[in-house]
Amino acid sequence: MMKWSVGTKIASGFALMVLILVIVGIVVFASTNALIDSSRARQRAYEALRGISETFSLVKDVEIGARSYALNGQPESLQPYRAALEQIAAHVRDARNWMKNNSQQQQLDRLERLIQQRIAKADEIIRARDTHGLQGAADLVNSGAMDDIRSLIQEIEQQENTALETYVEATIAQADSALKTILLGTIAAAVLSTLVAFLITRNISIPLQQLTRVAEQLTVGKLSVVIPQERRSDEVGVLMHAFDRLTQSMRTMANAAEQIASGDLRTTVSPQSDEDTLGNAFARMSGNLNDQIRELVEGANVLGAAASEIVATTSQLATTANETAAAVSETTTTVEEVRQTARLATEKAKLVADAAEASMQASESGRQSADSVVASIERVRQQMDVIAAGMIRLSEQSQAIGQIIAMVDDIASQSNLLAVNAAIEAAKAGEHGKGFAVVAHEVKSLADQSRQATSQVRTILTDIQKATSAAVMATDEGGKVVESGARETATAAASLQTLANNASESAQAAVQIAASNQQQLVGVDQVAGAMESIRQASTQNVASAKQLEVAARNVNELGQRLKKIVDNYRI
Amino acid sequence: MSRVENQDAESSVDAILRARAKALARVPESGSARGSVLEVLKFQLGEERYAVASKYVVEVHPLVDLAPLPCTPAFLRGIVNVRGRVTPVIDIKQFFDLPDQGLTDLHRIILVRDSDLEIGLLADVVIGVTPIEADALLPTLATLTGIRAEYLLGVTADRMTVLDVARMLADSRLIVDQEVNS
Repeated sequence: MMKWSVGTKIASGFALMVLILVIVGIVVFASTNALIDSSRARQRAYEALRGISETFSLVKDVEIGARSYALNGQPESLQPYRAALEQIAAHVRDARNWMKNNSQQQQLDRLERLIQQRIAKADEIIRARDTHGLQGAADLVNSGAMDDIRSLIQEIEQQENTALETYVEATIAQADSALKTILLGTIAAAVLSTLVAFLITRNISIPLQQLTRVAEQLTVGKLSVVIPQERRSDEVGVLMHAFDRLTQSMRTMANAAEQIASGDLRTTVSPQSDEDTLGNAFARMSGNLNDQIRELVEGANVLGAAASEIVATTSQLATTANETAAAVSETTTTVEEVRQTARLATEKAKLVADAAEASMQASESGRQSADSVVASIERVRQQMDVIAAGMIRLSEQSQAIGQIIAMVDDIASQSNLLAVNAAIEAAKAGEHGKGFAVVAHEVKSLADQSRQATSQVRTILTDIQKATSAAVMATDEGGKVVESGARETATAAASLQTLANNASESAQAAVQIAASNQQQLVGVDQVAGAMESIRQASTQNVASAKQLEVAARNVNELGQRLKKIVDNYRI
Repeated sequence: MSRVENQDAESSVDAILRARAKALARVPESGSARGSVLEVLKFQLGEERYAVASKYVVEVHPLVDLAPLPCTPAFLRGIVNVRGRVTPVIDIKQFFDLPDQGLTDLHRIILVRDSDLEIGLLADVVIGVTPIEADALLPTLATLTGIRAEYLLGVTADRMTVLDVARMLADSRLIVDQEVNS
């Protein structure tokens, strides 16, 4: 048994199973065949019974049709009769098909003859009805009956029913035997299959389970596993042997790896074969590791030195970055101040521009005022000329008045003289001249009043002349003043024009200054933004430098640690 | 204020009107009632007033067309033609040592006549004819001597000198009869 291979074992088990199945199948096939035969015989018996009964029914129809015609003599009553005549022959043939043995054939022949007789009688009845009327037909109908046919049919049916019972019993017996065979065969097959499967499974699966556990332990890295030693020459035995060798190989590798892990790189691993991937890889790994560790030692030395230098440099860098950050902060502050100043300058320039604009407008209005003043002065000058002309006329009129006054004065003087002479004459006349003396006195008084009046007029005229002279002089002076005023006003207008031009230029200059300042402000804003960016960058630089310093220190420590680690290796 | 001034003005005007009414209401002193009345012609020489009796006065004439006469005394200013009569003009300022102020058209000539002698007296201003009381004439001042004293009739109370025309015209010194030696 132990000498068989696993395949032989499984194949023999399956062969046993197939054998049992074949036996059971043959038995079941035979039983089923017998069952089918008895079933067909039953079918035939049933069909024959049906054919006989239908034939009998048709014969009855023929009989009934003939009688009905005999009774009523109407051709419609012959319809079932004719239909039955057509079908009777077919049904008899049908029944004959289902009943094959000789006795049955003979009975059928007899039945056929009887039926022929019956049909012939029916024809006779119909003809009698046609020829002799109802009475003749009734005589024929009453004579003879269907009893012989009925008894024959009952006989046939009895025979058939007996045969049918025989068939049913046989069928039941055959079915029972088939059932028994199937049951016993199935049980036997189940028991045998279970036994064989148990044996094979026990023989194969238990060692495989053991090996699976070993493999699982190997999977988790446990190499101290014990392979069960059995003397088996089948596949399981080969598998166990292979597992044993695998475990030993892995142990060797593990030992070498252990040595390498403890830092002893002098170990050499010899691969099991050229195709030993792991062994070759291990050997290469060991060699590479050796070289790499050597390079690593050198690298660690270089790294240590470089890390020290980097630490120093990063320290310097951090210091420099701090200084840069401080400088950038100061510069940013300065730029902010410049920006504020520029903004202030822009505002001032705008104010100046506005002021210049206002002064330009003011000077413009002043210029217009000056122009209107010039025009007014021109009008004043013309008025002054008119006044001067009026004054001259007034002076001339005063002259004329003076002449008139002189004339009146002369007349008054002569009147006075005349009054005096009249008074003298009156005095000479004595008492008679007294009235005339009074008149002369009055005339003299009038002359005196005239003289006084002329004197007053002269005084007034003198005053008028003085005033006129003064007015003329004043007018002259006024004219001169107006002239000079006109000149001054013209000069002022010119000055205002110049002032307006200057103000305009100032306004334009202020606007340009404002624009320039705006641009400057924008530029300074950009510079401020740039300085802000630089400041952030420098802040980041400081942080980066600090991080770099820390990183460099870490690198330095790493180098030191690496050196220590590398020192552990023995090459 | 203005009301006060108006009141003052009204009161002053009132006073003036009262004074005038009083003067007009005064009864003129008639010469007949007071003795002899002398009608005189008043005139002015410089700042002094003089008068001559109007009975000697022919007429008063303005000084026109005075023709100076050469080789005559200083008091004889010249001659004028009055209505066809050639009349000498005497400047009595020379007699009274009054300052000579030159001659103008405003000077008047008072033509006086006694019997057949007619001369013109040069006067600065002729004032007019007025009656004076002959009794009220004061005697001449003691300080006036010589020709002045001879020609004076008297001095009125208001210091007006009344000349005696008759005595003046009768004075032979006025007669110029002189030959010029060639």
